[in-house]
Amino acid sequence: MTMDEDRQGLAAEYVLGTLDAAERAQADALLLEDAEFSTVVRQWERRLGELNVMVAPVEPPAPVWDKIRDSIARASPATPMRLPELAAPAVAAQHGPSAEIIDLTQRMRRWRGLTVMTGALAASIVAIVVAREYRPDMLPADWRPKPQVVERVIEKPVEVVREVVREVPSARPAQFVAVFQKDEQSPAFVMSVDVEKRMVTVRQVAAERLADRTYQLWIATQPGAAPRSLGVLGNDDFTVRAALADYDPAVINNATFGISLEPLGGSPTGQPTGPVIHARLLQVTPAQNP
Amino acid sequence: MTSAMLTPPELVWLMAAVAKGDQAAFERLYAATRTKLYGVVLRILRRSDLADEVIQETYLKIWHNAGSFDPKVATPITWMVAIARNRALDLIRKKTEASIEDEPAAMEAAGEEPNPLARREMTEDLRRLLGCLGQLEEDRRRMVLLAYYSGWSREQLAVKFEAPANTIKTWLRRSLLEIRECLGS
Repeated sequence: MTMDEDRQGLAAEYVLGTLDAAERAQADALLLEDAEFSTVVRQWERRLGELNVMVAPVEPPAPVWDKIRDSIARASPATPMRLPELAAPAVAAQHGPSAEIIDLTQRMRRWRGLTVMTGALAASIVAIVVAREYRPDMLPADWRPKPQVVERVIEKPVEVVREVVREVPSARPAQFVAVFQKDEQSPAFVMSVDVEKRMVTVRQVAAERLADRTYQLWIATQPGAAPRSLGVLGNDDFTVRAALADYDPAVINNATFGISLEPLGGSPTGQPTGPVIHARLLQVTPAQNP
Repeated sequence: MTSAMLTPPELVWLMAAVAKGDQAAFERLYAATRTKLYGVVLRILRRSDLADEVIQETYLKIWHNAGSFDPKVATPITWMVAIARNRALDLIRKKTEASIEDEPAAMEAAGEEPNPLARREMTEDLRRLLGCLGQLEEDRRRMVLLAYYSGWSREQLAVKFEAPANTIKTWLRRSLLEIRECLGS
């Protein structure tokens, strides 16, 4: 078992239920990002799940079922936000071996499920953003990426979405995407990285906007290494920074990125001081051979 | 709608049908599992309005994610209970980060362990798990059970067991490790 003791403990306590809200959010992010963590959590769910045999059954009120049935009836015939099925094996065959791509596909399915379930528009947007950059051909024509940058300004996370579309000549698709998951229903940020240009783009999706705090982006080049700041994110939904100029592409590919909540102006200590959410890069387009 | 508990293979079969969008299968799955899931979340939330909400969300998630259920990794009921517990825990952790002292009476009333079953009703896995729990010190065992059944946080356990939350964390993690070793899995 390669997972460190702290992470083992986090997985076990996640299932036991004793983590606080921030730790639960961290574990939820790890569940999306880290297959081993996810396996360990499933093992704990199975181990401790036996205890539920002893819980006395309680009849839920009848209207509960009515509401569930009505919700699925509403969602079932036509789900406007539903994304098309992605054929994972075909993707792998087409682009060569890339576990990361398959991984992302599974994640997409998961999001799709969540999306339809919660009706959370914010989550849908992430799925679509990722799909646009990942398999544009899988999306309806209107959703396929055009040479544009799309700024999404979410005024209330699940209700009002305004899109501002600007023409950008010769925009290339991002090569990598990382998703920062605040919790299951709140993908907080989506980051795309153009490794060739060493350029980072962070879209603030459902992260709360706070007047007296800022979000700061970090990179840890290897597990356990002290994170280094890549800068403080602006208040815009769309932040571009040539922050990776010093890093080798191979290092970037394997790095872990974090976003932490800091006092205005950024961390006073040079290390994250607030709650951190992590993400790892996922390859979304194969290496180009011109 | 009857609520006869189905066998695990029957539940697996139902899950597969639900994954294909079979609403009748979903209704049967609900009928077979609703009282268990409701019992689990009500113990944690202690408020029926919250439990109603969590159960609705849970079954919607089950409906939409049934395709990701893997019978090699979990039984249907552990998979469903995990979804329900996670919803419930997310809700109370967000709600009551600072209001532990508000309801000492409710805390006490939450009890510690559900009524024990007659031995013959226990599954073999449960018997082994209880055996391992029995090897923990009394206080540690109660902590684990209060956390699992009643959703107590480290801070709540710290009040009850008169120890700092960090110490509780260390004890919990050590206890869980011992359980894992004992089960040998």
